[in-house]
Amino acid sequence: MSKISIPIGPQHPLLKEPLSMMVDISGERVLGASLRLGYVHRGIERLAQTRTYTQNVHLIERICGICSHIHTTTYCQAVEAVLGVEIPLRASYLRALMCELERVHSHLLWLGILAKHIGLDTIFMHAWHDRESVLDVMEEISGGRVLHAANQIGGVRFDIDHDHDSMIRSALKKLHEQVAGLLDVIENEPALIARTKGVAPVSPEVIKKYCVVGPMARASGVNVDMRRENPIPPYDQLDFSVVTHPDGDAWSRTYVRVEEIRVSLNLCESILEQLPEGPVNIRVPRRVPAGEVIIRSEAPRGELFYYLRSDGTDKPARLKVRTPTLAALSLLPEQLSAIHVADIPVVLAGVDLCVACADR
Amino acid sequence: MTEINLDHLCNTLKSNLGCDCHVFEEIMNDKTLVIDADSLKDAVKLLDCEFDNLHLSAITAQQRDPQADDIEVIYHFYLGEGFSLLTSLLGEEHVLPSLISIIPGADFYEREIAEMFGITFSGRTETPSLLLPEDWDQGPPFIRKEDKDE
Repeated sequence: MSKISIPIGPQHPLLKEPLSMMVDISGERVLGASLRLGYVHRGIERLAQTRTYTQNVHLIERICGICSHIHTTTYCQAVEAVLGVEIPLRASYLRALMCELERVHSHLLWLGILAKHIGLDTIFMHAWHDRESVLDVMEEISGGRVLHAANQIGGVRFDIDHDHDSMIRSALKKLHEQVAGLLDVIENEPALIARTKGVAPVSPEVIKKYCVVGPMARASGVNVDMRRENPIPPYDQLDFSVVTHPDGDAWSRTYVRVEEIRVSLNLCESILEQLPEGPVNIRVPRRVPAGEVIIRSEAPRGELFYYLRSDGTDKPARLKVRTPTLAALSLLPEQLSAIHVADIPVVLAGVDLCVACADR
Repeated sequence: MTEINLDHLCNTLKSNLGCDCHVFEEIMNDKTLVIDADSLKDAVKLLDCEFDNLHLSAITAQQRDPQADDIEVIYHFYLGEGFSLLTSLLGEEHVLPSLISIIPGADFYEREIAEMFGITFSGRTETPSLLLPEDWDQGPPFIRKEDKDE
């Protein structure tokens, strides 16, 4: 059967963000694929060199509309490291609280997209309904649903009181029940199992070769999580498990992410339990002394890498950002090879694409 | 977790590859070795054999001196802790060996710094642009320090 090349994107119902793929097929089999990025490239690394460290907090937040908080957290941690300042412990707990809420809403968003792609609209609606309650909490405590403006260099810009605490605990309790229901569906729903079990399996060796990180790597049995590997307070004081699965297929990726929601909900509860009293930020100098640092954090999609070099002025000399999606995208052509055409949406969803993150 | 003994690693690279190699202590949260560009690929091959968990996190290119043409390229690995190989490309010709035959995941990282810094990668058939438009023709590469004075 002859080869046909099908362009998918940059604008396509399958994609929530612009990405161009050329997929070669023969009959019902996919032979290979190539990718083209850059449709939402904003030149943020270059822009960061022309703005002050404080202005960059707001620039960096706009790298991504899903995991904006972990970007500013990682950036602020990098600047604080070069400054040599230690933020108040309460501030680091509040940062982590937002990070974990962000992970919950990101994974629920992803689950909804996967369910929509494979025709399970009920799961899609449940997942996105539950995600709304997380966004409500984030809006209540920070003032923003998507861009939270929660971080500043030297701490956070918000604090929580007794009312917030009760509201968050009540939302967490409800989410625990909802997620238990979603996990039950994932483990037992025949349609979901049929569409995902054994689809596009990835071995740990391939994960390593393609530098893939986060839930995708953990779903192939690679036990790595920057919260544990490289603990920055308060993760060194919190007890949590790293979810892995050995199969590496689309079902494992689903299972790992939904289990991770449970882990994050538990972490939110632990953070509230252990939240120390004290200030939530400190004043820091505008100019940053010369120095360079690497910070690795665990974003919802995996290891987020920041390299910052200061030349002693009030603007960074170099800010390098490597997002987890960029690593996962390099594997996508390989993953799309030798699958059925009908499985393309499942494989795409499995990557948990964040094109804005990858493009920067 | 594998504990990286930087001096031992430095000596291993020197003795196996006969290259110049020394420790660079400027980067916080990272253990860094400086190596010449010609030995980079062999060094990564050796590391890949030595460590089961060699993970390439990113490749950073930068101009440490904005007035000079030299470009510094840092290969950031993770081996249970941060480890980097730093190489400097002096003068106006910037050529590096491609690592995609050892680490296929380096493809996007190489393409990005090729278009942003004008670095050429030897050992790969083509280096298509990754983020910039295919018809990008607006002067110097995108993140080079010509814009630092803006």
